[in-house]
Amino acid sequence: MVVLHRITRRAASMIPGGPAGSVLGIHVFHCPDAVGIVAKLSECIASRGGNIHSVDVFVPDKKQVFYSRNEFVFDPARWPRDVVDNDFNKISKLFSAEKSVVRVPDLDPKFKIAVLASKQEHCLVDLLYRWQEGRLPMDISCVISNHQRAPNTHVALFLKQHGIPYHHLPTSAGNTREAEILELVEDTDFLVLARYMQVLSRRFLESYGKDIINIHHGLLPSFKGGNPSKQAFDAGVKLIGATSHFVTEELDAGPIIEQMVERVSHRDTLKSFVQKSENLEKQCLTQAIKSYCELRVLPYQVNKTVVF
Amino acid sequence: MARRAISTVTGGTARSVLGIHVFHCPDVVGIVAKLSECIASRGGNIRSVDVFVPENKQDFYSRSEFVFDPTHWPRDVVDNDFIKLSKLFSAEKSIVRVPDLDPKYKIVILASKQEHCLVDLLYKWQEGRLPVDISCVISNHHRPPNTHVIRFLERHGIPYHYLPTSVGNKSEAEILELVEDTDFLVLARYMQILSGRFLESYGKDIINIHHGFLPSFKGGNPSKQAFDAGVKLIGATSHFVTQELDAGPIIEQMVERVSHRDTLQSFVQKSENLEKQCLAQAIKSYCELRVLPYQENKTLVF
Repeated sequence: MVVLHRITRRAASMIPGGPAGSVLGIHVFHCPDAVGIVAKLSECIASRGGNIHSVDVFVPDKKQVFYSRNEFVFDPARWPRDVVDNDFNKISKLFSAEKSVVRVPDLDPKFKIAVLASKQEHCLVDLLYRWQEGRLPMDISCVISNHQRAPNTHVALFLKQHGIPYHHLPTSAGNTREAEILELVEDTDFLVLARYMQVLSRRFLESYGKDIINIHHGLLPSFKGGNPSKQAFDAGVKLIGATSHFVTEELDAGPIIEQMVERVSHRDTLKSFVQKSENLEKQCLTQAIKSYCELRVLPYQVNKTVVF
Repeated sequence: MARRAISTVTGGTARSVLGIHVFHCPDVVGIVAKLSECIASRGGNIRSVDVFVPENKQDFYSRSEFVFDPTHWPRDVVDNDFIKLSKLFSAEKSIVRVPDLDPKYKIVILASKQEHCLVDLLYKWQEGRLPVDISCVISNHHRPPNTHVIRFLERHGIPYHYLPTSVGNKSEAEILELVEDTDFLVLARYMQILSGRFLESYGKDIINIHHGFLPSFKGGNPSKQAFDAGVKLIGATSHFVTQELDAGPIIEQMVERVSHRDTLQSFVQKSENLEKQCLAQAIKSYCELRVLPYQENKTLVF
């Protein structure tokens, strides 16, 4: 099914960077494999004066499916944004595409996200910092947490400074606050669980319906569940890791997007395990979000991802 | 007690050989002072020291490397001196090794059908990069005389023992007899599980390579398990063998990146590369006295 873009666009006058009249376009495509797909896609782009800068094509062994990701620069005066959509829609129909998404980062609205966190805030703080630095191309509509943060704390002050609401929704055994969360995140493109320690129910996942990216502070599938640093420490491993993945019903088991590791030894204490882990979590989560926003992450087979 | 003649002393300047000492005892003030004084008093020059005292624990671990002149400090006197210190500090472990004078570690390698680790070990051994004597190779897989492994072993006078295994018969009694005289064993993708009785009878260290990143993917076909799990990193783990399968103290782990572009075949190939490196590194560390048991199920690797 083709994803349609929202109607609101930013003015062409806000186009930053690059030669006059040229913006970056990204197209991802997933369809049954056939001869001629790359030819048609590239011909389409060329016919509109677009210049392809990067192509990733992947056709898995023994499977009749086709994945591609193209980056191209074009002049929106020559190839208007809505025409771009129409052109790719036509090709999408032609090849019965399962997925055909175009994104023009400079013209399209930024991804709108909500970040959920609990008491541990290293990932949240890191995301906010990168966002402020312009390194994470998204709009943060709010931060939701089951942990209270006083007004004079770093996070609360930061969010206030930037006009981002902070919603304290304490959770308890009987009440996961999912109804309120759903309402708050209704309008988002995807969610980021930045060490949010509540398990989201199937009902929530079905109701929300869009992607949710989580960071797990362990190298999955090792050490699922709670306190993976302590589990790793007790197991005497020589490498610890972090995993970012899509959230599914099953805890810590959704398609993996990114993994990173770091060496540990007998010289590490539980505390240094945790510190190294926190470093990894920040990098790993950021990388996953970045890849996702750049349309590099595609669902693949039952529980995996293609990451171009 | 057999020692090699002084005339075969290799490395370093005239009359200087490398000594390695590892020590594990209850922590007190003055251990490093005493150890280093002992070495200095015999004209030994310390080149490297690793000391580790874990937080909140009264345990002391050290590994020292020093060069000395064996005419000045004879081999048996080295032993005696360290034994005295060992008693002084009620050491749990005190080992001295002088690689150029002491007999090489005597090992047996066990393998099954997969031979990439075995071949790699044999190659490294031939290159002089694995300071061990291989007394034999044991396998539950038959290899005909014209195969690479058999020809290699024959050329080097290393016996190959084909001991088929079956559900009822692990050939453990025969294996025990063949390995009686070894210092440790290497399981180079040996696919049989050694029983508790075997481990107790043998009594010495056994190093295994597991083709997965423990504790993920224990048991069979970890490459396929990893492939199905959609992980972005695969690994190999070398560890000491205990009764519990793939659960003994970990010595070394290595990883490599995989992606959607990898097939099960490339997962396996990358894994084989890792296994070779990881096993070789573990054996090297072990022979250099860098690996010490630590707490219940871990290792200290200096």
